[in-house]
Amino acid sequence: MNTIAIILVIGLTLFTIGLSIFSRRFTRTTADFYLAGRKVGSFANASAISGDYLSAASFLGVAGAIYASGLDGIWYAAGFAGGFMVVVLFIASPLRRFGEYTVADFAFGRFGSDRIRLITVLGVLLTSFFYMAPQMYGAGTTWQVLVGGGFLGMDGYTSGVVVVAAIIAFYVSVGGMKGTTMNQIFQFWWLAFAMILMVVFAFGNGFNYPEALEAESQQPIVNTKAYTAEQLTAPDDAGVTPYDKAAEVMTAEEMTEVDEFIESGADGTIRIAYYASNKLHTDREMAFNEPGHRYNGFDQFSMVLALVLGTAGLPHILNRYYTNPSGKAARRSTFWVLVFISVFYIGSTIVGLAGLGIIREFLADGGTVNAATVHGLLTKPDQLMPVLGEILGGQWMMGIVSAGAFAAMFSTVGGLLIAAASALGHDVYEKYINKDASEAKRVAFGKTAVLAFAGAALLIGLAIPHFGLDQAYPALIAMMVTWAFSVGASAFVPMLLTGIWWKGTTEKGATAGMLVGLIGAISIIFLNIMHQLGTIGHEGLLGFVGSLTYPVLFTFPLSLFTIIIVSKLDGQLPKNVDHIWMRIHGTASERHEKQHGLDKVGSMFAKSK
Amino acid sequence: MGETTAHGSAALSADGRQIQYGDHIDTIESVDAVFRGQRKLSFTYGAIFFAVTLGVPASSVWWKTWYSVEVWGGFTANYLFVGFFYFVFLWTMAWTYSKQADRLDERLLAMADEIAARTAHEEVQS
Repeated sequence: MNTIAIILVIGLTLFTIGLSIFSRRFTRTTADFYLAGRKVGSFANASAISGDYLSAASFLGVAGAIYASGLDGIWYAAGFAGGFMVVVLFIASPLRRFGEYTVADFAFGRFGSDRIRLITVLGVLLTSFFYMAPQMYGAGTTWQVLVGGGFLGMDGYTSGVVVVAAIIAFYVSVGGMKGTTMNQIFQFWWLAFAMILMVVFAFGNGFNYPEALEAESQQPIVNTKAYTAEQLTAPDDAGVTPYDKAAEVMTAEEMTEVDEFIESGADGTIRIAYYASNKLHTDREMAFNEPGHRYNGFDQFSMVLALVLGTAGLPHILNRYYTNPSGKAARRSTFWVLVFISVFYIGSTIVGLAGLGIIREFLADGGTVNAATVHGLLTKPDQLMPVLGEILGGQWMMGIVSAGAFAAMFSTVGGLLIAAASALGHDVYEKYINKDASEAKRVAFGKTAVLAFAGAALLIGLAIPHFGLDQAYPALIAMMVTWAFSVGASAFVPMLLTGIWWKGTTEKGATAGMLVGLIGAISIIFLNIMHQLGTIGHEGLLGFVGSLTYPVLFTFPLSLFTIIIVSKLDGQLPKNVDHIWMRIHGTASERHEKQHGLDKVGSMFAKSK
Repeated sequence: MGETTAHGSAALSADGRQIQYGDHIDTIESVDAVFRGQRKLSFTYGAIFFAVTLGVPASSVWWKTWYSVEVWGGFTANYLFVGFFYFVFLWTMAWTYSKQADRLDERLLAMADEIAARTAHEEVQS
């Protein structure tokens, strides 16, 4: 039992709950609940955005992806950071100037139809669900390493998912955006502290970056995968069986276990290790320091586009831009976000590589870890951070890292719940269901929506192992988050870019483009899942589309061109297009605010009147 | 015609081509001028950003020296760039853009005031 580590995690959890209760007294209006009263300064907002953004995918997933895939995994770090450039260049300042609550508000304000607002709400909800899934998976897998077993008859994974969903539902519904913002600021700095500590301990353990990279690149990357006895001995097209591949890598002692498994005729699977093949340069071995472990030529581009465009389509991140007091503050926030998260991600790249050698040596010396391993490798790379934390610094370090992992989930799922609740509460309830609702009723609806979405997050978390997704993909957390990026990049970003920068965009064009992007991205992602699970074949058009890891290289331009072509054919600009244009790009409001000192940051702790 | 926005109370002219916040006016002409300035800056930086960002996977696919030759320990140029220098590139881009956008804002704010005043003056004369 990791008593010290568990106490640290409980301490962090109690602190976040306390912070939410403390912030409750400052949440009176819907502007407080959804936007923290628009009084969040650049540095605080940058910390909160970073906390919001650095999810389980960043804290657990990026290091895990690098551990499993080498250079292809590093792209998660670079791309997650690069996405903020698109936000700062094209979105942040105009969005803040437009001055609404949510992305759906922008769509409605820019194009003036209920139809586009409701489609945007649908897109926000779907993107949020895609983003919540890996967070909940992270909760389950971290619990497995930290606690091991479950409670009340549940297994360890289920217990982690249930506990995290319950805690987040409580603190978001109590604290709203102000509570969530304060928690996100705290949680970001905890995450940064944990990551820096891991890097320092890794170097203290004798890790040398260029030498370790050279050593790990001498041999091809090793994958692990579970097979049944029948699958192990089934030859592929070249006549090679998984058993033959395992024999190239695994020791005689390890192969004896495999032989015994096959001879026993037992049901179930056994996990083997084998050399990965290079998907990009098929004539080369798959070295750790070269591209091609996960992505072929098409996916190399599509993944980069998904990552850099997707950030600008994440509703919970865009919502945060409305909390800036001015467009200039929005830009300054983004710069600080880039500094914060870049330092964090550089740390992830170091930890991902360091983990390979350190865990392998630890296990070879007879050490044991609270996670499944084969041939010195973790079978779930997403468990790298807590496992490495324990090896490097014992229970204290494991506790700090696990608390960081839970902090990452709390902050991100908290932001997602606010975004989803505001989509339903602000964009549907207040606009269509009960237009005359009192402020108290509106906040109450928002809180109910938070609880409902937390329940949905719980179900999604439980569904992942049920459908075998955790077996189908290595480094699942980072992969699933990038699906959310793909949906956002395909559905929202073309609409936002054209809505902000092309006056000729019409409502029909934007609606058609959004639908094409949304449906296209989700369809290709589900085809890829079915492809990985083996429910569709590898041949024909369906097989080709199913082989695409990320859809953005198709769906982003498709959505963009749909908007342009339909808008050109339609030609029906909103009657008040000049007024709309002045709201997006006009500066009179900022000049007015500057003249009267209204652009200064107030206090988040001020009570709304 | 009056309206209330997130920025406070605004008065929109009858033809919808002019909006006033306190003493400050936006006309569609001044806003178009501001828009063009911002678009030029954002899209210039955007072109550089996407050229560099998409240049990396392009090099990963087609430039063997980039992805396979080790230049320092186990670092290939590709690994070194994606693992470290890309972040430095992002900081530099974000900082210089942010500063230039602030300066442009200041210039455009003054220009918007001038254009709005001139337009108002012309309307009074006509």
